[in-house]
Amino acid sequence: MLHVQNRELVVPGQLLAEGGYVIRQGAFREGDRIYSSVVGLADLHGQEIRVIPLQGRYIPKRGDIVIGVVIDTHYSGWILDLNSPYVGNLFVSDLLRRKVDLLREDITKYLDIGDVVVAQVKEVDELMRVQLEAGEPGLGKVEGGKLVEIVPAKIPRVIGRKGSMLNTLQSVSGCRLKVGQNGRVMIWGEDQRMVNAVVEALLTIEREAHTSGLTDRVRAMLEKLKSEGGK
Amino acid sequence: MEKPERLIVDGKRLDGRAPDELRPLKIKAGVLKRADGSAYVELGRNKILAAVYGPREMHPRHLQQPDTAVLRCRYNMAPFSVEERKRPGPDRRSVEISKVAREALEPVVFLELYPRAAIDVFIEVLQADAGTRTTGITAAAVALADAGIPMRDLVAAVAVGKVDDTIVLDLTSEEDQWGTTDMPVAIMPRKKLITLLQMDGHFTGEEFKQALALAFKGCEQIYEAQKLALKERYSVKHEEER
Repeated sequence: MLHVQNRELVVPGQLLAEGGYVIRQGAFREGDRIYSSVVGLADLHGQEIRVIPLQGRYIPKRGDIVIGVVIDTHYSGWILDLNSPYVGNLFVSDLLRRKVDLLREDITKYLDIGDVVVAQVKEVDELMRVQLEAGEPGLGKVEGGKLVEIVPAKIPRVIGRKGSMLNTLQSVSGCRLKVGQNGRVMIWGEDQRMVNAVVEALLTIEREAHTSGLTDRVRAMLEKLKSEGGK
Repeated sequence: MEKPERLIVDGKRLDGRAPDELRPLKIKAGVLKRADGSAYVELGRNKILAAVYGPREMHPRHLQQPDTAVLRCRYNMAPFSVEERKRPGPDRRSVEISKVAREALEPVVFLELYPRAAIDVFIEVLQADAGTRTTGITAAAVALADAGIPMRDLVAAVAVGKVDDTIVLDLTSEEDQWGTTDMPVAIMPRKKLITLLQMDGHFTGEEFKQALALAFKGCEQIYEAQKLALKERYSVKHEEER
């Protein structure tokens, strides 16, 4: 039996349902009863219950694409800041996908402190030690571009349903985007003005993540800025 | 202020409240931009700000717990929060209150979800008028929820006491000063579990039972206000999130 409606705003400790529902996220079970554990929107999908959080830090999850900043190097790899309570570990072999003779090569020529890396979370253990990999195409060190940070909870909205928002952002602005689940977005573009327009659009999405028809408004906003041209 | 002859006249207290009535309560969530979560609470003349940071990496490292997060709590009174200027910095009293506030909040937070991390709670008393530890806990619970930290429940807290041989709810500083007993209580309202219970003064067994029942009643009201504050913070936004 359900005690909330779909899309209802719930608070921690609020009774969501009784019975054999499956908890996906943001809730916990006590006996037969299911309660919300965060402030968020209840999302009911058949037998599945989820609370979409509205706030919170990024917690690394296996398979996530993240954008990290190198904060330290050691002899066989790097430590990356992930905009999270936990740092990520990237080994040379997970970046280059080959054996590296650590005695002969100085690995700082591949990555050094301050470099930005698009990586995938390879493994997270029970102590929240995070292993990254960045060898696949589309991953690895970032050259040029602009890095923007927003609240990680708003990232699904930046991507949109089946990537609709992301497609709009890319096609209208002519910029290329890379979205990290940890709340960081990379933007590359020829036209600096359009890059800045995309930054504006991202901040708008962060601010208005709740409203409907956001994709259309972002499109209108970008097209307006684009048509104003070389003023 | 001189000691008044009586603290309860014709069943009304000095500020005109009934014995089982709370002071006017105002709760606002998300007041600080740079904190992960925050709350501002006014209870009568109490004005308290709570801020939450984290979960974040724990420094110093040797305090990290490999299997769980650590909740850290600081209760602090501003020098201007009381009539006579308070010397700034932690003292015996605020160190104790920090500890009991932490222990009052710990049972509701899912600390085991964030091994090695720290969650920092700051309770700043801007203006004090008795019951700051309970009001601080009330504010901290809202701030924790506002930070998006998973919790089993909120924590609501209030003080009860005995003044002129009457059991009263939510003492003012006059009642605290000249009353017989002051008993702060914090509860997890959903399961009605007590997370803080202190007492200064004395009650008979029967009085204690009465006072505790009254505290539960007060906490229920505060709990409703907390839930409302959290919903208000977000209801204008987030109607249609994906």
